[in-house]
Amino acid sequence: MTFGAKTNGSDDLKAIISAISTLVEEATFVATSEGISFRGMDPSHVALIDISWPNSAFEKYECDSDIKFGVRIDEFSKLIKRADKKDSIEISISEENMLLVTVGKNKKYKIRLIESSATDTPLPKIPYDSKIILTSSKFDKILGDVQVVSDYLTINTSESKGDFSGKGDSGEVVIDLDKDDDDIEEISSKSDSVGTYSLEYLNPVVKAVGSNAGFITCEFSSAKPLRIEFKVANIGRIHFYLAPRVET
Amino acid sequence: MSSNSQDIRRSILSKWHESLSKYGNLFSSDEISGTSPPSVFVGSHNYPKVFVGPLVPPIHGNTELLDNPEKWKGKSLEEIVNFRLNLVRGIQKIPIEQTEGRYIENLQEVTMSSKPTDLDLIFNKKVSSNISINGESAPFGPIGEIKSAKFSGSTSSKPIEKIFYDKDINASDAVLKLYNSGIEISKIQKCFSIGMLGKKRKLVPTKWSITATDDIISKSIVENILENNIIDVCKIFSYEHLGNIFSVILFPRRWMFEMIEAWYSNGIIGFGSDYEDARGIKHPPRIAGAYFAAKLAVSEYLLKNKIQAGVLIFREIRPEYSIPVGVWQVREGIREAMKQKPKIITSFNEALEIASTKTSVSKNEWIKNGKTLDAIRQKSILDYF
Repeated sequence: MTFGAKTNGSDDLKAIISAISTLVEEATFVATSEGISFRGMDPSHVALIDISWPNSAFEKYECDSDIKFGVRIDEFSKLIKRADKKDSIEISISEENMLLVTVGKNKKYKIRLIESSATDTPLPKIPYDSKIILTSSKFDKILGDVQVVSDYLTINTSESKGDFSGKGDSGEVVIDLDKDDDDIEEISSKSDSVGTYSLEYLNPVVKAVGSNAGFITCEFSSAKPLRIEFKVANIGRIHFYLAPRVET
Repeated sequence: MSSNSQDIRRSILSKWHESLSKYGNLFSSDEISGTSPPSVFVGSHNYPKVFVGPLVPPIHGNTELLDNPEKWKGKSLEEIVNFRLNLVRGIQKIPIEQTEGRYIENLQEVTMSSKPTDLDLIFNKKVSSNISINGESAPFGPIGEIKSAKFSGSTSSKPIEKIFYDKDINASDAVLKLYNSGIEISKIQKCFSIGMLGKKRKLVPTKWSITATDDIISKSIVENILENNIIDVCKIFSYEHLGNIFSVILFPRRWMFEMIEAWYSNGIIGFGSDYEDARGIKHPPRIAGAYFAAKLAVSEYLLKNKIQAGVLIFREIRPEYSIPVGVWQVREGIREAMKQKPKIITSFNEALEIASTKTSVSKNEWIKNGKTLDAIRQKSILDYF
């Protein structure tokens, strides 16, 4: 078995590990000749993260048979954080079944692998009626604006118009989306949609991926999950699915 | 406190004083000889130099019942308070890091003992026969500072002895091992408290060790429950003892747990609650140790029946519960509730109604003071696969 993957810089891996850390404590990655992927739900089964990191996004990638490797995210994350922005990170599996992590040129870490627990989690099957493309920094700001009055974000779209809103015990807020804003690339909907999502889940993941992601794509349908796509390493991506809150 | 609860307290106290005047010499001397149930206590006052010692009644024989909450089912508040007041608490001031030395090692042996153990204590001065019952902390018998103590031989419980000599196992795993080998919670908690478990051992005040033990065990059980199938109907269980009414609702949902407490204070009802979902609870619960005790009892039921459910518990604390006797009564009360025949119903709303009618608090009041109704608006991603 040969497996080795080397990144160009450390930002992408930092963003990915940080995003995963908002949902789970342990993660099982799958490496194939195509690249590395991860899929997992948070313990309460409200959010799901699906990551695809194709081989071409790495500076060097080698994998001649499919492997799974499990890590404790906090342990892995600590090492990755030791990397400077420009440091490459190379991972492989050592003979004594440890994860070998080379940070930059000379820092060689080994960390323990844990029993991989990946069951095949399917993905939600939903036709998405509405789409908003905006920068992650803009979205982060909007979440902050809503959070001062509410624990939940409501997204409304009607044709090419959209707004974000929130309502709580102390009051409410509506933020209209301005299509001329450079931070907003697209607002579109096949039919009017309204969905409400918990900031408790949205905030951490948006902060985790950070401004690294550039434009992000939010897709949803009325009372259906929200899917956010974050681009990483140009052609890699993180899909974050979040189940809605509904009136009972 | 209402007058009702003051009356009850007064009556218990006056009986205690009556028995003191009859047997006062047993309690107000500068020495005591008796059989410890066995029991040890670590105070939280003056932390990290804490007051540690055995609990000993002024009698010899099989005293096991005096400090064994798992066997107190059906006993009245008065009987239980009397168990506690009979126990004289010997103390010595010890820093929490000090888990070796003759005195502590003797206490550890007492704790390990599978049978009541004879003890002779000599105090620096006469113990005071004054006891205080303030409605907040659990009641106590007289306290005396130990000058010297004579411990008799004891028979060690094998599973505890094994864990005691295992210094490579961490404290959480040690607690779980003891639990899984059938050791009672009240016993495990004492081992934890007197610094017998784990790699880096220390003394842990009794009240914190109770919470820690319930927390460690219930967390581990819940991890297992998460793999179980979710129930498809609501089940309502209830039980009342010692002026506490418990109503437990299990409902079809991935694990979530909320306990809402209602109590009476000067004729006004006060509420407290706390909540977790499958991600667990990351702060000290607002309703303190009762939270973990209840979580333990209900999770044991789910584990045993190989099911998973959302859990909502109402606990009404009646004025008759005039002297708090410790969170064990929540644990045992809910264990007892889960042994009753449940009411089974499909509608969650009706389940709330039924659970509320067991109490004198209305459904709306309960709901308003909890989070469950709001939390269940959150859908699961699995609903869209």
